[in-house]
Amino acid sequence: DGVAVLTAPQNLSVQSTNMKHLLTWSPVVVPGEIIDYFVEYQGEYESLYMSHIWIPSSWCSPTENPECDITDDITATVLYNLRVRATLGSQTSAWSTLKHPFNRNSTILTPPGLEVSKDGFHLVIKLEDLGPQFEFLVAYWRREPGAKEHIKMVRNGGVPVLLETAEPGAAYCVKAQTFVKAIGRHSAFSQAECVKLQGEALSL
Amino acid sequence: GQEFQFGSCRVEGVVLQELWAAFRAVKDVVQAQDNITGVRLLRKEVLQNVSDAESCYLIQALLKFYLDTVFKNYHGKAAEFRILKSFSTLANNFIAITSRLRPSQENEMFSISESARRRFLLFQREFKQLDVEAALTKAFGEVDILLTWMEKFYQ
Amino acid sequence: EPLPPHVTPNPLSSFPVPCVHAGLPKPTNITFSSINMENILQWSPPEGLQGAEVTDTVRYFIYGQKKWLSKSECRNILRTYCNLSAETSDYEHQYYARVKAVWGTNCSKGAQTGRFYPFLEKVALTTDKKSISIVLTYNVSIYNTKANKTWSQCVTNQMLVLSWLEPDTLYCVHVASFVPGPPRLAQPSEKQCVSTLKDPASALKVKILFWYVLPASVTVS
Repeated sequence: DGVAVLTAPQNLSVQSTNMKHLLTWSPVVVPGEIIDYFVEYQGEYESLYMSHIWIPSSWCSPTENPECDITDDITATVLYNLRVRATLGSQTSAWSTLKHPFNRNSTILTPPGLEVSKDGFHLVIKLEDLGPQFEFLVAYWRREPGAKEHIKMVRNGGVPVLLETAEPGAAYCVKAQTFVKAIGRHSAFSQAECVKLQGEALSL
Repeated sequence: GQEFQFGSCRVEGVVLQELWAAFRAVKDVVQAQDNITGVRLLRKEVLQNVSDAESCYLIQALLKFYLDTVFKNYHGKAAEFRILKSFSTLANNFIAITSRLRPSQENEMFSISESARRRFLLFQREFKQLDVEAALTKAFGEVDILLTWMEKFYQ
Repeated sequence: EPLPPHVTPNPLSSFPVPCVHAGLPKPTNITFSSINMENILQWSPPEGLQGAEVTDTVRYFIYGQKKWLSKSECRNILRTYCNLSAETSDYEHQYYARVKAVWGTNCSKGAQTGRFYPFLEKVALTTDKKSISIVLTYNVSIYNTKANKTWSQCVTNQMLVLSWLEPDTLYCVHVASFVPGPPRLAQPSEKQCVSTLKDPASALKVKILFWYVLPASVTVS
């Protein structure tokens, strides 16, 4: 059985943006050698009911990089413990555990990318594809005094969606925010983007 | 966005499609182990015509039983069948739901909570009449029936 | 009479046709497939019996109940499919089905499906407390062949009017259905195309009608 002579990975932390969660740590360096890392996780259920149980990460058991995309492992809005250890041949380090358990509801939500275009008299938008967890709330209005703001929910990004069939010469402005059901939170609105039918897009 | 509304109990932050995807991944493996096809634990008498008011008490009792008894003792089988990932997704989402359920404890709700309890006892009694391992396998294999019922309260 | 509880029905008792269980090979690849509201049991004939006068007999079973049930139209049949839509129409039940091969007085064991759950397979099912309601959302994709632009639109009713189209332009449309609830497979419809008139003055409208049966087949008029 391997003896723990390798130093354990340090400085574990999770960067999470738009429901993509990346666990990183400081690399263990042995000159001239390639270190393998093993990442494991346990959710609130495992830590409450069977704390000795850890589940190997989907993509990083093993990995050579000092980081691990744990997005596919975090599949509930509860606290998750995460741990990493290094191996070199039969040598194995101790486990390093993330100091504070991670909950995906802490993810940073950024305003979505938004492209506004037109096809004849049809106002068409294309939202950034952020994955299946994201829905979009789109607000649009005619660019004229006292114009009413319209709201439309768009189920997924990455595909052009008809927003409005407009009258010739009308100018419209559009902005969007994301909504993530899994954590019940939404992002800030994007910058508004305006376009004049039969004209070029005007940026604010 | 969508959330669970079990009567007055509202639960956000759970995506039912994630639970369906997790169970679908293991459905065939798990249900193939259940040879007692003549017994269904989550029978119509347990889940049919449950009032909104009752639903919070019933879902709490059922999920608590799944967490405390079914998942806890089925874990070894889940590891054996290499379905730990789906198992963990289901268990942790059940934790997410139960931790957000706040059924009313007021006196006038006693008869409703009792009605929910009788339904749960129907389920539990059927479970206890089977050999333990067979009962655990059957209960885990019936998570799709449970999710179907929960879907009715996912608005 | 029904079996005592907790007893799995004996495979052979489920087939009334008197035959000798003579180690005939079982039918294979037995599955339910669910397309457009129909539940069809399909299987492959037993291996090694090509050319022999083999017929098949189907039985089905409701999970949690006690008796195997038969369908007379699927007893001693030569085809390798059986429409069990009527028999599996209760979406809150789960089902098994079995097929056995019969050759003269010999028969095989029954080849059995996994547990079939129509609620998971069928397109279009959400149930509320007392009834089954069908809420369909169609995702309509429209392709302007002249501008080489595609855009889509979600609609819930069965007619979509696209106005203010460009004259003398070929537009192509296809439709996919989307239903909330468990992830279900829904193929998109065939593509249908229509050209707008050359005369720019006519603000042409294209009506896209969806037939009720999914995947939606589209008629453009």
